[in-house]
Amino acid sequence: MAFHLKDFKTKFFALLPLLLLFYISLNGSSIINIKFFSVNIHYILVYYWVLRHPSSLGYGFIFLSGIISDVVLGFPLGINALSLLFVAGVAAYVRVVTVRITLINDWISFVPALLFANIVYFISLYLSDYSVDYFYLLKNSAFTLIFYPILWGIFSLIINFSKS
Amino acid sequence: MDTSRDDVGISIRSAFLRKGTQQRFSLFVLTVLSVLLIFLESLETKPLNIIRAFIKDTIFRGSLVASFPSKSFSNMYGFFEKHINLYEEYNQLIVENNELKNNISKSDFLELENSQLRKLIDEQISSPTNLLSARVMLDKQSPYLNSFVINIGSNKDIKNGMTVLSGKHFIGRIVDVNYFSSRVLLVSDLNSKIPIISEPSGSHAILSGHGKSEATLEYLPENHNVQNGDKIYTSGKEGIFNPGIPIGEAKVENDTVTVSLFSNLNQITFVNIDLGKKEQKN
Repeated sequence: MAFHLKDFKTKFFALLPLLLLFYISLNGSSIINIKFFSVNIHYILVYYWVLRHPSSLGYGFIFLSGIISDVVLGFPLGINALSLLFVAGVAAYVRVVTVRITLINDWISFVPALLFANIVYFISLYLSDYSVDYFYLLKNSAFTLIFYPILWGIFSLIINFSKS
Repeated sequence: MDTSRDDVGISIRSAFLRKGTQQRFSLFVLTVLSVLLIFLESLETKPLNIIRAFIKDTIFRGSLVASFPSKSFSNMYGFFEKHINLYEEYNQLIVENNELKNNISKSDFLELENSQLRKLIDEQISSPTNLLSARVMLDKQSPYLNSFVINIGSNKDIKNGMTVLSGKHFIGRIVDVNYFSSRVLLVSDLNSKIPIISEPSGSHAILSGHGKSEATLEYLPENHNVQNGDKIYTSGKEGIFNPGIPIGEAKVENDTVTVSLFSNLNQITFVNIDLGKKEQKN
C-alpha cells in the first residue's frame, strides 16, 4: 500500500509541471494581472522546468500549450508557441553551459530568455498588424523578472518534495 | 575509399539517436512550424479556414471545461461581494432613480421632437434590424487583446465585422468566426477604432480603445465643443455599423475626451449581434 502511495506521489509530481502548463494555457491565465502588477507565469514555468527538470516538459508540449494560449487569448496561431520555444531554447542552452545551478545564475540567465521571447512576441504581433502597449510589455517583463525567485522557490519545493 | 549511401544513412541515424541531437532537432522543427503557422494566419483560403475553425472550436470547448473551477470561484466571490455592497448600492440606486425620473419627461419631449424633425427631412431612421442573441462562452481578457468568445459562429450566419450589442448599447464587433464560436473585439481594445458622433455637440471623431484604461475620442475637430455628459453614438460613417447606436458618455479631462461606456464590459453574459437588415418579404 505504502509502495503504491509513493508510486502515485512520484507520478503526480512528475506530471505536475505538465498539468500546470496546460491548465495555464486552457484557463487563459498565462499572465496574472493584479492591479499594477503583471507577471507572465507561463514563461517562468517553462524556463524553470526546462532548466531544472527537462524530462518533465517536452518541447512538443510547450509548443502545444503555446498554440492553446494563442487560441484562448485571441492571437494569431504560433505567436505564443514561438515565444515559449525561445524561452525553452535559452533554458536548454543555459543548462548545457552552466555547471552549478543556483538562484542567482538562473535569475541572471532568465534576462536574455525574457528579452528574446519579448522580441519575438513583439515582432510577430507587429507583423500580424496588432497594436501593442509597449509600456505594458516592459512592465510585464520587469515584474516577471522580479517575481521569478518566488516561483523558483515554490518549484524547488515541489522538486524536493517529490524526491523525499 | 568511397563512402556509400548506406554509410551516410547510418551516420545520420546514429546522430539522431543521441538524445541531445533529437531534442535540438525537435526544438528547431517546432520553431519553424510556429513561424509557418504565423505566416499561414495571414492566408485566407477555405480549407485553411475550416482547419483553423475546427482547432479553435475544439480548444474553446477544452478551455470552457478547464476554466470551470476558476469561473465558479470568481462567481462565488462576486456573489459575496454583491451582498456586502448591497446597502451602498441601494442608496446609489435611489439617487439614480430620482435623476432618471427627472429626465424621463425631458427625453420624451426630445424623442418626439427628433422624430418630427427626421420626418421633416424625410430620412429613413428605423432600419429593421435582425438581432440574434448569444452567450459569452469565454471571457479571458488578454492584456493585449480585450475580447471574448461567444457561442455562435458561422452555423448562425455570423460574419466578420458584425455589430455586437449589450442590450441596446454598442460594445464591439465580430473579428473571428469559427463554426460554433466567434470572437468579439471590444471597444476598449487597443486595435478598436470606431467612427462616432457626439450629441448634442454633433462632432465627428474616432473612438479609440486603450486596453485597460477608458477609450478616448481622437481626431476631434480643433474647435469642438464636446462637454461632460455628451452622449456618444456610432456615426455609421464607414458603412459597417448602423448610425445612432449608443456607446457611452463623454468625460472631458485636460483636453482629452474619454468615454465612459454604457455597458460594463466585465459583466456581460449575453450579447445581441446585429445580422443586418431584414429582407423585406413582398
